[in-house]
Amino acid sequence: MPASEILAQPLFRRLGLLLLRRGSLLGFVAILAVFAVSAPNFLSPGNIANVFAQSAILGILAFGLTCVVIGGGSNVVSGGLDLSLAANLGLCAAVYSSLNNAGLQGWESIGLTLLCGLAVGALNGITVVVLRLPPLLATLASMNLIAGLELVLTHNSVLPTDSALLDILANGEWLQVPVLAWVLLVVALLLGLLIQHSPYGLRLYAVGEYPEAARAAGLGVGRYVFSSYLIAGLCAATAAFCSSAYFSGSTTGSGELLLSVVAIAFLGGVFSRRLVANIPGTLLATLLLGFLINGFQLLNIASFWVNGVQGVLILLVVAMSSALRKEEGGL
Amino acid sequence: MTVPALHLQGIAKRFGPTQALDGVDLRVERGSIHGLVGENGAGKSTLIKVLAGIYRADSGTLTVDGQSFADLNPHQVEALGVHFIHQERLLPPGFTVGEALFFGHELRRGPFIRRRAQDREAARLLREYFDLEFPPGALVRELDSAQRQVLQITRALLARPKILVFDEPSVSLVKREVDQLLAIIRRLRDQGLTIVYISHYLQEIESLCDQVTVLRNGRAVAVVDPRTTSIAHIARLMVNREVGEMYTKPVVTPGEVVLELKGLGAGLAYRDINLSLRRGQVLGLTGLVGSGAKELLRSLFGLLQPEAGSVHLQGRITRLTSSRDAVRKGIALVPEERCSHGVAPQLSVLENLTLAGLSRFSRWGLLNAAAEARESDQLIAELGIKTAGRDAAVQQLSGGNQQKVALGKWLGRDCKVYLLDEPSVGIDIGAKVEIYRLIGRLAQQGAAVLVLSSDLPELIGITDRIVVMHRGTVAGEFDARQVDSDHLLACATGAREIPDPSLESEREPDYASV
Amino acid sequence: MTTLAAKPVSPLFLSRLLRGILPLLIVLIVGFFAVAAPGFLSLGNLSSLLLNNFVLLALVAIGMTWAVAAGGIDLSVGTAVDFAALAFVVLLNGGHGLAIAVPGALLAGALVGGFNAGLIAGLGITPFLATLGTLFIGTSVQQLLSEGGQPIYIAQSVLPGLTAVSWLGLPLPLWLVLGVALAYGVILALGRLGREILAVGTQVQLARYSGLSIRSISLKVFVASALACAVAGIVLSSTVNAYVPMSGNGFLINAIGAVFMGTTLSRSGRANIPGTLLGVLFINVIANGLLLIGWNFYWQQVATGALILLVLAFSFASRRLQTL
Repeated sequence: MPASEILAQPLFRRLGLLLLRRGSLLGFVAILAVFAVSAPNFLSPGNIANVFAQSAILGILAFGLTCVVIGGGSNVVSGGLDLSLAANLGLCAAVYSSLNNAGLQGWESIGLTLLCGLAVGALNGITVVVLRLPPLLATLASMNLIAGLELVLTHNSVLPTDSALLDILANGEWLQVPVLAWVLLVVALLLGLLIQHSPYGLRLYAVGEYPEAARAAGLGVGRYVFSSYLIAGLCAATAAFCSSAYFSGSTTGSGELLLSVVAIAFLGGVFSRRLVANIPGTLLATLLLGFLINGFQLLNIASFWVNGVQGVLILLVVAMSSALRKEEGGL
Repeated sequence: MTVPALHLQGIAKRFGPTQALDGVDLRVERGSIHGLVGENGAGKSTLIKVLAGIYRADSGTLTVDGQSFADLNPHQVEALGVHFIHQERLLPPGFTVGEALFFGHELRRGPFIRRRAQDREAARLLREYFDLEFPPGALVRELDSAQRQVLQITRALLARPKILVFDEPSVSLVKREVDQLLAIIRRLRDQGLTIVYISHYLQEIESLCDQVTVLRNGRAVAVVDPRTTSIAHIARLMVNREVGEMYTKPVVTPGEVVLELKGLGAGLAYRDINLSLRRGQVLGLTGLVGSGAKELLRSLFGLLQPEAGSVHLQGRITRLTSSRDAVRKGIALVPEERCSHGVAPQLSVLENLTLAGLSRFSRWGLLNAAAEARESDQLIAELGIKTAGRDAAVQQLSGGNQQKVALGKWLGRDCKVYLLDEPSVGIDIGAKVEIYRLIGRLAQQGAAVLVLSSDLPELIGITDRIVVMHRGTVAGEFDARQVDSDHLLACATGAREIPDPSLESEREPDYASV
Repeated sequence: MTTLAAKPVSPLFLSRLLRGILPLLIVLIVGFFAVAAPGFLSLGNLSSLLLNNFVLLALVAIGMTWAVAAGGIDLSVGTAVDFAALAFVVLLNGGHGLAIAVPGALLAGALVGGFNAGLIAGLGITPFLATLGTLFIGTSVQQLLSEGGQPIYIAQSVLPGLTAVSWLGLPLPLWLVLGVALAYGVILALGRLGREILAVGTQVQLARYSGLSIRSISLKVFVASALACAVAGIVLSSTVNAYVPMSGNGFLINAIGAVFMGTTLSRSGRANIPGTLLGVLFINVIANGLLLIGWNFYWQQVATGALILLVLAFSFASRRLQTL
């Protein structure tokens, strides 16, 4: 809202607005500062690189979700959402492990895994764009389906595997920084350039924010939304490689990642001036969570608190954002 | 005869049983500003949608610059140089000025957008075309409606159009902004563009257009030159009956004061409002956008808390803390946004009519379906609501009947004060008359009615007194029988010298809108 | 975007077809499994199906129905189930007996609902994110209290034995479902609160402008949703005689699926209790039937997921055709 209006608001709201806009970054830094002081080795380069590496899986998934949210609009009920991301990751990991263990060539298994991720993305795209199911329902249903397929492959157990790719991802280093961290940064850079700096990204924002305007401008709304789900599918496949590297194969329980991914994608919005989902913000939110978990580990605080902190953070951010938006809304 | 820029001939379009367009001709000369007027339902928006390629006409031809087509899709229409400035601004709210201007045709270097170049170019264009400057880095949602419209126009101009069609462009603008818009349009015409201008506001049509086509019931009934044809005549062509006949106002002796406002103020919105409303009285409230009239109405329904002054309901000081509170205290609101705030389109007529008074139909938490049915049938008959049945969804009803539902839900509650916000907007003339009659009946039955409207002749026709607001204060209070639109408008725009209406001789009423 | 030229299939026929799809599918599927799966229609199988699978999911889905009908959603249903189960077990183990344990469990559930309502109605947070937050916090709390997910067993001396109780040949849990379904269903379809929920769920601004208290309605909806889940928590912990942390979350997805499948029963696509129950039945029958005909347990989930997707797709597609 324009500065004049801000100044007209009562003091409390002004503080809240200011805090939200500029404060999120400060809050981030403040949290880091607290950990830096209280936790041993927190700021050591090795530890920081570790956090980046451990955040790769969540982060890449969150980037995928961010793209879908941008293209679908941030109204949670009718807007863009992809709840099948975590299940997609699980499936891709299972597919990769199975293919690898079946003796396929390196590039073949990688390619087919990527294809798998894309196929799931396409399924979501079809149900949302062609069948016009609300994304919440569509991706919920596909999540169910995909999780089932994963179980068929894995019989609810771990599928260990090994390959050159996984080796590099898990143990490789470049400039003393783990490869996984580089993967996170590279994906962030690529998607960031695509979404924040290319015409495609701008148009994706238009499609999500105001589909009628996009249509009037000659943009094919359906195609952009469909493409956002394809990107999400690719991200899931990429994250699956990282996960397989981390766990030396496919693992169970990837569904638990889902809620954190959703939280991160929505938290990421708070780091942008316009309070919309964006790639850099998602990266920051991912790292914030990563540092939080890491800090807790170093301080020997039970990891059980992490969920609670996530929950409180979401609620805080959302409450302040909706106060800002001042949208008349009911439930 | 020069080749017209645009010529639609014999356009016909039928929707089911309705013949929306019945052989319409529209001929727009190159380099002119051509007005298009007609009531709601006359076929204006259907004609424009045919022109835009959104609808395909059943018959007729479309000629642009001499080239004839049977039908076109929107892309082709744009390629021919015909662009539309719609009522909706169609700009994503979170975009910056530069992004909003160029999205779809972004300025790039390689695969990337040149944001700074876009912002610079946007500023340059705004200065060059309109002599305007927006705050740097402003987001679309931080601009007001007129600024967004300028942005909309600039965006259309980027495509170097030959013909620009403005669809009700002045709806959310204040007078100063309207003047600015008209100046912009004249400048565009001088630069060689052909303009089609659709509006309800006949004053604008009169001051702007070279020619006007009047639509009525799906036909083009006349093409007139507004400089030689009076607005009253145009209005008559639009409705084909004396416009003055539509307003009715029963004579009611006002009773005791029901609502009184003393020194009421709410920050920058309005201040120092003193008003009193009596039983049986119909009070008109008007003012330009930003005058505080709308905000005052919201306060009376508990939606905006005043900080100064007091509200007295039936003699007792009251604080209206929420809409629920206002309703409990006997205040009813028929809001302006009918489809989202006035009725629930997906619910049935019965469900809508009973919603404000559920406690009357419930015992032990369960609703008495028979009583609900009885009361709904009664209201449907009493108000003349044309519906397939009480269980029909409200969205199937026409605008006028929906408004009757929006009003009807309060009737069983015996409300003391009715607040009506633009009650006749978007309703055809027959239904308007019925609504006015209902308002009169409400007054006769002893309620106090406050009507907020920007339709000045309407206010004069149906109210007892009219309060005009300007920039947050009451600028004038008039007896409806002794004032005309000119005075009201002058008062609303803050003219220093307001001629005393009682000294004026009889003048032909000036219909600013129909 | 041109207008459609062809005249579509008669809307009335389409509407009836649409509303009949779910019951029709259930009949077909039951018929199929009756033939293909030995023992499907046996009393033992049916009662196990109803008792173990149907009851719990139905209770959770009933709660979810109200939240969806009010235009929102409740992602924290599992939290309410678990908190109620936790309170139930702890109170029983503390020697307080059923008379205290049952109300205590209900209260625990109601607190979760109240927390949600506070976020949604009080702070204006959208239900998806608010209940997501509750889910996170609830998970955290449970992890802390149970030291990472250790179940708490009901002591042998105070076993509630609720599941063994029978009345008129039907087990108590089934009566509970019927009772809760009846109460929630009647209120939603015929009650004043139901009408208010409908208004808030379809057109919230209009509800506000008609003098309804959105806050009070939200509170009732989310507390009621949590209460239904609390009953599920009591039944669950009585069945396994323990509180198993975070076991409630497993119901979430199927509950949502059941509620939305159930909307096909309503002429205007509104969430409704009978439809929800049919949706739950649909899910359970498929899972059970596939199990009996020897399908890999994991393929069941695929099949269930695919069928839910199909029903939803059909429902939304037809409804769109209808309104043209």
